[in-house]
Amino acid sequence: MKQNEKRSGPALGCMVLCLLLGASFMYAQNNFTISGKVTDQSNGETLFGTSIFLKGTDIGAITNEYGFYSISAPRGSYTLVFSYMGFNEITKEVVLDQNMTLDVELVEFSTQLDEVEVTADEPERAVLRKPEMSVSKLNIKTVKQMPVVLGEVDIIKSLQILPGVTSNGEGSSGFHVRGGAVDQNLVLLDEAIIYNTSHLLGFFSVFNADAVKDLKLYKGGIPARFGGRVSSVLDVRQKDGNSKNFEMTGGIGAISSRLALEGPMFKDRGSFLVAGRGSYAHLFLKLAGEDNSASFYDLNLKTNYNLNKNNRLYLSGYFGRDLFDIGGSFSSSYGNASGNLRWNHIFNDRLFSNLSLIYSNYDYELNINDFEFDWVSSIQNYNIKYDLKYYFNDAFKLDFGASTIKYVFDPGQIKPTSPTSAINELQLDEKRALESAVYINAEHKLTDNLTAQYGIRFSHFNRMGGQPLNNYLDDRPLVYNSSLRIYERQDPIGETVYSKSERIETFSNFEPRVSLAYQLNGLSSVKAGYSRAAQYIHLLSNTSAVTPIDVWTPSGKYIKPQLSDQFALGYFRNFKDKEYSMEVETFYKTVDNRIDYIDGSDLIGNNTIEREVLSGESRAYGLEVLLRKNEGAFTGWVAYTLAKSEQRTPGGNAGGPGINNGDWYSTPYDRTHDISVTGAYQLNEKWSFGTNAIFQTGRPVTYPNGQYQYEGVSIASYSDRNADRLPAYYRLDVSATYRPNRKPNNRWKGEWVFGIYNVFNRKNAASISFGQNLETGANEATRTAIFGIVPSVTYNFKF
Amino acid sequence: MKPFYIIYICLLFVGVSCTDVIEVDVPEAPPRLTIEASLDWEQGTSGSDQTILLSTSTPYFAEQKIAPVLGASVRVTNEDSGAEFIFEDQNNGEYTTSNFIPVIGDTYALEVIYNDERYTATETLVPVSDIVDVFQSTEGGEDKDALEVNVTFDDPADIENYYFLRFKSDGDLFPELYYIKDEFIDGNEFTIYYEKIEDEDDAIKEFQPGETVDIAFYGISKQYHDYLRLLVDQYENSGSPFSPTPVPLVGNCVNIDNPNTIAYGYFRVTEAIKTSYTIE
Repeated sequence: MKQNEKRSGPALGCMVLCLLLGASFMYAQNNFTISGKVTDQSNGETLFGTSIFLKGTDIGAITNEYGFYSISAPRGSYTLVFSYMGFNEITKEVVLDQNMTLDVELVEFSTQLDEVEVTADEPERAVLRKPEMSVSKLNIKTVKQMPVVLGEVDIIKSLQILPGVTSNGEGSSGFHVRGGAVDQNLVLLDEAIIYNTSHLLGFFSVFNADAVKDLKLYKGGIPARFGGRVSSVLDVRQKDGNSKNFEMTGGIGAISSRLALEGPMFKDRGSFLVAGRGSYAHLFLKLAGEDNSASFYDLNLKTNYNLNKNNRLYLSGYFGRDLFDIGGSFSSSYGNASGNLRWNHIFNDRLFSNLSLIYSNYDYELNINDFEFDWVSSIQNYNIKYDLKYYFNDAFKLDFGASTIKYVFDPGQIKPTSPTSAINELQLDEKRALESAVYINAEHKLTDNLTAQYGIRFSHFNRMGGQPLNNYLDDRPLVYNSSLRIYERQDPIGETVYSKSERIETFSNFEPRVSLAYQLNGLSSVKAGYSRAAQYIHLLSNTSAVTPIDVWTPSGKYIKPQLSDQFALGYFRNFKDKEYSMEVETFYKTVDNRIDYIDGSDLIGNNTIEREVLSGESRAYGLEVLLRKNEGAFTGWVAYTLAKSEQRTPGGNAGGPGINNGDWYSTPYDRTHDISVTGAYQLNEKWSFGTNAIFQTGRPVTYPNGQYQYEGVSIASYSDRNADRLPAYYRLDVSATYRPNRKPNNRWKGEWVFGIYNVFNRKNAASISFGQNLETGANEATRTAIFGIVPSVTYNFKF
Repeated sequence: MKPFYIIYICLLFVGVSCTDVIEVDVPEAPPRLTIEASLDWEQGTSGSDQTILLSTSTPYFAEQKIAPVLGASVRVTNEDSGAEFIFEDQNNGEYTTSNFIPVIGDTYALEVIYNDERYTATETLVPVSDIVDVFQSTEGGEDKDALEVNVTFDDPADIENYYFLRFKSDGDLFPELYYIKDEFIDGNEFTIYYEKIEDEDDAIKEFQPGETVDIAFYGISKQYHDYLRLLVDQYENSGSPFSPTPVPLVGNCVNIDNPNTIAYGYFRVTEAIKTSYTIE
């Protein structure tokens, strides 16, 4: 146990107290329960986040990820109101004199937008009563309305126009949340961990929008059921598949084509979804020669089977791959694969459970044909998870569960591909680890106006043996050389071989999570939250943007787990009968044990990563404002983020001042200002329009401060890291969607999406490099811009 | 070995992007002494003639790229034998001697006194491995139609070796620099190729028959290899999102009187093989 336990001790005590208090609410009352499932009438998909409340009371609930809800109330007659964004509200009269089940189907709005009339809380507008804060939920329909580059609907890019979320520039993988790094995001696709969210180095995301039902991003206030990453959780759920009719959706675009099939199976006891997407090779690279190609494809699969009223099985899978071939001399492929078997079991009308068995894998291979060798690396995990939700009463709900993840890291192996290869075979040490956690979390309505959510997660990490580990003099793999002022790698003084039954190192952490919502009046509320999170695995990446060939490494003897503390405070308000809403949040986040890389670190094919890194800290703080127009023919939002993200790495036991002289410096994903405006306008039944405008402070970079001659070339000298900035980024996109006349009886529904990305053809600098002109010898700065103006046409269909 | 991954990522990156030269305001650091002290003992020569170059750094976009240092005193001592070699100021930034005695495995110390500040460095003379073959081909490299020059050498087994390989074509302004360590190729015969791929934007032309390429192959120390690796990587790739944040390059010439300003450049002592190849 580490010292963190001491700090968390009082918090745990507080938790227990609160739970006891909570229990006192459960005095014998003459309460009955209504529970059930909410689904979409057209296709049988369960609806996550449907709001249900008893008219005239404060009693309500929201459906969980599986569409399940449970409400308890005293005996009486009630009107239940079910509402979900984009669907017609439904009311049901009930006489509550016993526990009852009520499954409800909601009907989607027709295209007539004037009919929109929703009165209850909805997922996308400011939710006042729930303590949930720092959460962005996007409906896949909203995502599909946004204009995107080359017509590829991309949920990661859509997230990046919300406050607090940024990319590291066009063509870079992943996303950054509240000044956090890419590896600090937990990305789940049907609960399976996805290690790389990008296709083609970040130009597109791995999520096929046709297979996705909804997504939720937790920027802070991460519920106790999630753990393992310190910055955010992106929870993406795949569609279950239409359980009523066979349906085919698809699209033909400039970059890729998609096709999805779904329908009922098992004699209406279940449904399935199969979705595939593939890009066209060669299209992407305009490099000289036809020998080069780059392409990607992915497959999504989901099926579910209803055993009986209280038991349902889900099986889902994902397989995605990127393929590159550069003139036959290099080729490469990489991708995620995951599979997941889940069992939903409803014990009774108050206790819902889900058991998941999950496998996921990320691997890449580089085939370096010129030198006749292959380079492969992978991370695999097996995960078992049991989550339960208990609805005590209207004022008290409890989530609890446990999970354990077994990791196998293969940091890399070299395989010569011919007997004449000059490269020797090499296997870097495989690493194993077990990450386990138990959690409990309560949602507790303390008074009519004050609701609390509090919980704790206890996580444990076991870095397992089965590998040798270097020993260094005084346990110092790096030592500061005070005359040369650099960190020098030390030679090992021996090694310890750990057997598979031994532990190299273990860590445990208590991770308290608390948030409070105080409703000021019917229109506004304030919320505050604190959360602590531990992260036991680290992505080794010393480049400005992460790449597909970065390698994950577990905590252990030399690398400690990252620990974050985040405080957030927010003000939420609805205006004009909820037509408009405003969310303002501030946050302050610190991360301990963030690894940083010494000058000249070499991470590829390195068995002794401890000789390349030092342990530091990072901090980020900021203000986020989101103003939304939720209703009417014109909808959209303005998002503004003012933030700072920095890191500092002292020398620690290696001595010396540390990296960058031990001074704070901007992380590559620090953006002072980030403004985005998104709008959608429905002109009539046939035409709708969308637009995005984005402005961002440029990425922090390091410019040269001088030059000198060495070996016949001009060498740039540099000083402080990331002390300069690229020029600001600005872009405007527009799109138009045309839905031709549809005969009511015709099942074929088509639509054309026309888009223009970067209308003003602004050459936004993705990078500026410094070098010598090969003809004149003069030093010059070269700007690389990724996308200029990009028009696109996509045809989507549904049958 | 070259970081193949950077090449491969950059190729993709280049595939969709466009580049142009722009004006950028860069910070300006005070000038600093640069010591290019490369004592290379070419195989088959006595190695007695040696030159050390001293200059100061200039602003990044300065038109005058080289600011020679005059009036410094430069001395190299063989720490094993005690022999001392004084380098004469040629008043153009060059300091020369004609009586240097290279001994493989011996350690040499450099002392430069400039502006009343004393800079020192030590380095051991590292032997080089044999070049087995130098030849041209088209089928290797990234482009199967373009010519490349290949250098094959024998790496001795079971010892750590580090090499520096330099190509310079008479058709080009600048050399091509390769750093090599034997970690993955220990004990093997290994071939490095130098191929130029046509690029109109960067004014790169493929090798043409008649073009002569000077080749120099050095045995170097591990510390110099690490210095050179960072130097070459930053020279070739700095600024791309897929390259590490550029950092100060720290050589081995320490300023005894002002420890904050380590001189730019490096004091190396190597055994070298020099040859040239004319494309047919």
